[in-house]
Amino acid sequence: MDLLPERLAWYIAGPLMGLCVVALYALANRPLGATTAYSETIRFARGLQFDAWRVWLLGGFFAGALAYALLGPGISFSTDYGALGRQLPLGVLVLLLAGAGFVMGFGARWSGGCTSGHGLRGSASLSPASLAATGTFMATAIAITAIVHFATGGDL
Amino acid sequence: MKATGFFVGVAFGFLVAAAGLSRYDVIHDMLLLREPDVFLLMGSAVAVAAPILLFLERKRWQTPFGGALKVTRAPITRDTVTGAAVFGAGWAIAGTCPVPALAMTAGGSVLGLCVAAGLFGGVAARDAMKKKPAADAGC
Repeated sequence: MDLLPERLAWYIAGPLMGLCVVALYALANRPLGATTAYSETIRFARGLQFDAWRVWLLGGFFAGALAYALLGPGISFSTDYGALGRQLPLGVLVLLLAGAGFVMGFGARWSGGCTSGHGLRGSASLSPASLAATGTFMATAIAITAIVHFATGGDL
Repeated sequence: MKATGFFVGVAFGFLVAAAGLSRYDVIHDMLLLREPDVFLLMGSAVAVAAPILLFLERKRWQTPFGGALKVTRAPITRDTVTGAAVFGAGWAIAGTCPVPALAMTAGGSVLGLCVAAGLFGGVAARDAMKKKPAADAGC
């Protein structure tokens, strides 16, 4: 099935994602954020006391993306990874990406949020911590991407 | 509460995948400043949500499932900024972040699963240090 456009325009997706933040606050008085959902899911898996709604939120993220895949491009098991995937052998990619994931998870917990919790939820709440965190991770990521770009002679 | 979390999560996860945020090339082009779309997406999300949240707060909105609305705000600390810089480094390399990594995995990406596994490991490692996040943004 391919019932959906190739890529939903930012001016549709962005406001609707903003409304997701509003909906969770307006209905349940809860902040939308992914990293705490990861953390609570780990607590759930370990049999520790956990915040159930955050585990459901994480399940929802996955289910929503799965629904998109089923309605749109379909599920295709692959080892593609865009431009990065064309530069490195699979074994290196596995280690690099698991390592980058680890760094992200560690940093997001350290900071108290990630692109969703600080970047969208916290910024929309005009939380000083979130505005500072968002500026910092944007600036760091842009700087490191530029370094990688020049170090690889423009291949990445 | 659980159902609200799940259905908001479904909507959010669907939008992340539909907007192409789960593609390395989309995020990489954003961070190379080649394409403004993701910045515009995030900016428009904040621009839509911020005034509505301020309005609901001013109205002392009573939520159906969670009592009186309290929008959490936190002060800037050294941990907020240091952690965010570390997060940004991982984001730049992986070209994806926590929700898009799940969306990649849902679409069948084996390498997306590697990122997600790394994320779980990094979150668990930080939590094991038993330090509370600097300013819990709920993320």
